[in-house]
Amino acid sequence: MSAVAVDAKRPPQSLFSTAWAFVKRNVLTVYSLLFFGYLLLPIGIVIAFSFNNPTGRFNYVWQGFTWNNWRYWDGVPGIRSAIFLSLEIGFIASLIATVLGTSIALALVRYGFRGRGTTNILVFLPLSTPEIVLGASLLTLFLNISFVTFGFWTILIAHVMFCISFAVVTVKARLVGFDRHLEEAAMDLGANEWATFRKVTLPLIAPAILAALLLCFAISIDDFVVTYFNAGTRVTFPLFVWGAARVGAPAQVNVMGTAIFVVALSLMLLNVLLQRRRESQVRT
Amino acid sequence: MGFFHQHRGLTPYLLLAPGLLWLGVFFLVPLGFLAYQSLQSGSIDFGYAFTWSWGNYWNAIKNYHGHFVRSFEYAGIATVVALVVSYPVAYWIAFRGGRWKNLLLLGIVAPFFVTYLIRTLAWETILADHGFVVNTLRDLHLVSANGRILATSTAVIAGITYNFLPFMALPLYVSIEQIDVRLIEAAEDLYASKLHAFLRVTLPLSLPGIVAGTLLTFIPAAGDFINAQLLGSTQNHMIGNVIQSKFLELTDYPAAASMSFVLMAAIVASVLLYARAVGTEQLTG
Amino acid sequence: MKDELTRQELLRRAALGAGLLSMPGLVAACGSSGGGSAGGKKVLAKTLHFSNWTLYMDTNKKKHTFPSLDEFQRRTGVHVDYVEDVNDNASFFGKIQGQLRRGRSIGRDIIVMTDNSRYPSLLVKKRWVEKLDKSAIPNFKNLEPVQQHPAWDPNRDYSLPWQSGITGIAFNDKLTNPVLSIDDLLGNPKLKGKITLLNEMGDCLSLVMLSNGDDPAHVTDATFDRAMKKIKKAVDSGQVRQFTGNDYAPPLARGDLTAAMSWSGDIAQLGNASIHWNLPTDGGDTWTDNMLIPTGGDVYTASVYMNYVYDPTVQGQMEAGNPKKNITGIYYIPPVVGAREAALKVNPAVANNPLIFPTKHMLDNIHLFDPSALNNEKYLTAWQNLISA
Repeated sequence: MSAVAVDAKRPPQSLFSTAWAFVKRNVLTVYSLLFFGYLLLPIGIVIAFSFNNPTGRFNYVWQGFTWNNWRYWDGVPGIRSAIFLSLEIGFIASLIATVLGTSIALALVRYGFRGRGTTNILVFLPLSTPEIVLGASLLTLFLNISFVTFGFWTILIAHVMFCISFAVVTVKARLVGFDRHLEEAAMDLGANEWATFRKVTLPLIAPAILAALLLCFAISIDDFVVTYFNAGTRVTFPLFVWGAARVGAPAQVNVMGTAIFVVALSLMLLNVLLQRRRESQVRT
Repeated sequence: MGFFHQHRGLTPYLLLAPGLLWLGVFFLVPLGFLAYQSLQSGSIDFGYAFTWSWGNYWNAIKNYHGHFVRSFEYAGIATVVALVVSYPVAYWIAFRGGRWKNLLLLGIVAPFFVTYLIRTLAWETILADHGFVVNTLRDLHLVSANGRILATSTAVIAGITYNFLPFMALPLYVSIEQIDVRLIEAAEDLYASKLHAFLRVTLPLSLPGIVAGTLLTFIPAAGDFINAQLLGSTQNHMIGNVIQSKFLELTDYPAAASMSFVLMAAIVASVLLYARAVGTEQLTG
Repeated sequence: MKDELTRQELLRRAALGAGLLSMPGLVAACGSSGGGSAGGKKVLAKTLHFSNWTLYMDTNKKKHTFPSLDEFQRRTGVHVDYVEDVNDNASFFGKIQGQLRRGRSIGRDIIVMTDNSRYPSLLVKKRWVEKLDKSAIPNFKNLEPVQQHPAWDPNRDYSLPWQSGITGIAFNDKLTNPVLSIDDLLGNPKLKGKITLLNEMGDCLSLVMLSNGDDPAHVTDATFDRAMKKIKKAVDSGQVRQFTGNDYAPPLARGDLTAAMSWSGDIAQLGNASIHWNLPTDGGDTWTDNMLIPTGGDVYTASVYMNYVYDPTVQGQMEAGNPKKNITGIYYIPPVVGAREAALKVNPAVANNPLIFPTKHMLDNIHLFDPSALNNEKYLTAWQNLISA
């Protein structure tokens, strides 16, 4: 195959070198496949044990297949409200964070203004601060403001805060490579700025905005540390898992984990396939 | 710059305002409060008072320097292992991925759609003392007959490495993917061996990715406490565990706050040293 | 008008001495939603928010329901929003103290905390809990005499016991010979790295002090240091794998642990025939989990619930469960006089289980931990440093 083609370009080599090159090529592939196996092993365990039929409270030894855990996914007290709270916060926080983040990204890429460098640093800082410091400092803030109630709003505020940076980075990456000529063309054809933005810019950066939304949603659903510090007595899904793990996480936790995984994976697969379709359309 | 020039005055600031305001109020201000709290003294019973208590910082270092060192050790080892383990895969996807690149990248990211805690708990199952993995390792004499993996530093470091792999793998990939293959071919045409070409061309060109990945892995790992809590024993506790316990269980806010700042300072110092070593242009890319 | 009816109902019921709270729906109909007050209101809320430890309520395993809570709803119309979010006293306190400090409600009407931690006394001292409405708790008289005057709440104005328990040692007979004493637990080389101790200072230190021959009810610096030294030695040598709250249960079940310092009821609930629990030879310690009404909780509804729970028949059923109907009981030590007799009718095995209804011999060998030591900052910090290595 191409191994031969590559060799043909070179001065002729011995059979050993050819064989060695072949082995070397395969080693990388084999290694990479092992790597993926290692990555997916825990996921496999999570999915497998969601079908386990444990006697007693502990879901550690395989004892038999059952659909029960999936059928009675909310059979464990508290899991239903936890997952709903996580979804709710995820939706709202990702929406707010994406809107705010997109605005910042637009400003950063398109305009020169005083304080550009500082803004860049400010946006980058939350990403480089350990979560425990983020959570603890917010807790300190809330403790010192007397009218704050720990619960839904404090969790939401925290989630929007750390998602903004992710949104900015995601949208900015797309904006930087953006072809301004399309906008110029629209302007030349008589559209004003706002119409250009709405009809040309926005649709073109829509994939990035969508990506930012999904990323923020994923990060919000998964967040534990910052939420742990600021949730008061409300329980999100990760907090629920933390508590349940102390006495033996019930199989329903695996069910939820698998469900989230499958949904997210499907969405991403869809995105990848759509992108491929788009690219092949562009090529033809 | 272009055609938005005439509104240059106001538009950027309008765009920036809401987001920056949010970050300012809910990121910067809390840090200020944290600093304020770190100089207080007192207890939950009798209340806290601001007393310029710089001693809190000194105490944090004095009492918990072991934890700080341990955290950086674990995070450092995990980062290096993640780098060594992910680099070949990033290389493989970049150069041999072809049409499957996006799907393969998805494969790297996919495990992270399962909640962090659930993933880590799965490792608890996998590494159980009498489970398949540890039994096999015992048979291979990699683990002593009475030994275990869980509740040791090995398990904690393994957990951290696993959980932060995509933060290392993705930046590496992005950087490697941008390398112009022709450069490598040119090197080989000039009679460099494959290894030589890799060391002299590929590796240096992928340095931005290495730097990015290292930072994105090391910084959060240093403050992590979940892996230590679930996979480690009391002797493997990291500084994150102590901070968490001081805040939420002992309600010793001044001590916890000062420890948080010491942690941040230590991280910033490490990053600066690192930047020195690799050259600052790499950081601001 | 409606208030008088309610009070008459109560008095009638109290006079009969039976435990049945047969409030007609009319009371539920005029119920308001939570956020009650101290004193004043005699109206039942629609929902009671109850935070408790896990495995602390009778449970129907098949249907995942709590029979006694369902029965309470049938009798009073009050739905109990039961949340098992207390994993250990310290972290639960951490979650709620921010709100309580501000005099705000935490969205709970009843919380349960252990008296061998500093928190119940702290909550009472800072008045972050409401007084019980004793007029709604005529069953108060069923409280075990020994529980009636704890040092931190001498007249039981703010609390009522939920359950008591004993700390002892559990071991897995498939992996080891019986581990019956603290010295064995901490010193036996065969157990190295396979045991855990409790992270609650009161529990752990009591047992170790007893093994040193010291009295945990009167802690001095000397006895404290002696016990800490013994534990530290075991930690440093790798004997102790970890300090746990109730999360020793999963590793014990998995076989990662051979023995663990543990709470009596947990083991009864594990339902694993190879895991046994025993009082240590030098003695164990006892603690009581208490129901408290945090600031902003609905005092009246909470008190009505407490009254329901203190009915010996109800308590007996909660305690014993019903194996025929697949209901597990609480399996801890009830604070209600007459519960044992009631349990005997439903589940004799439970009624005769010394873990749940301790024998006199056991009662003589269990001790209380010195409450003043629980508030000693020096001890607490030293303890925290020990368990966080």
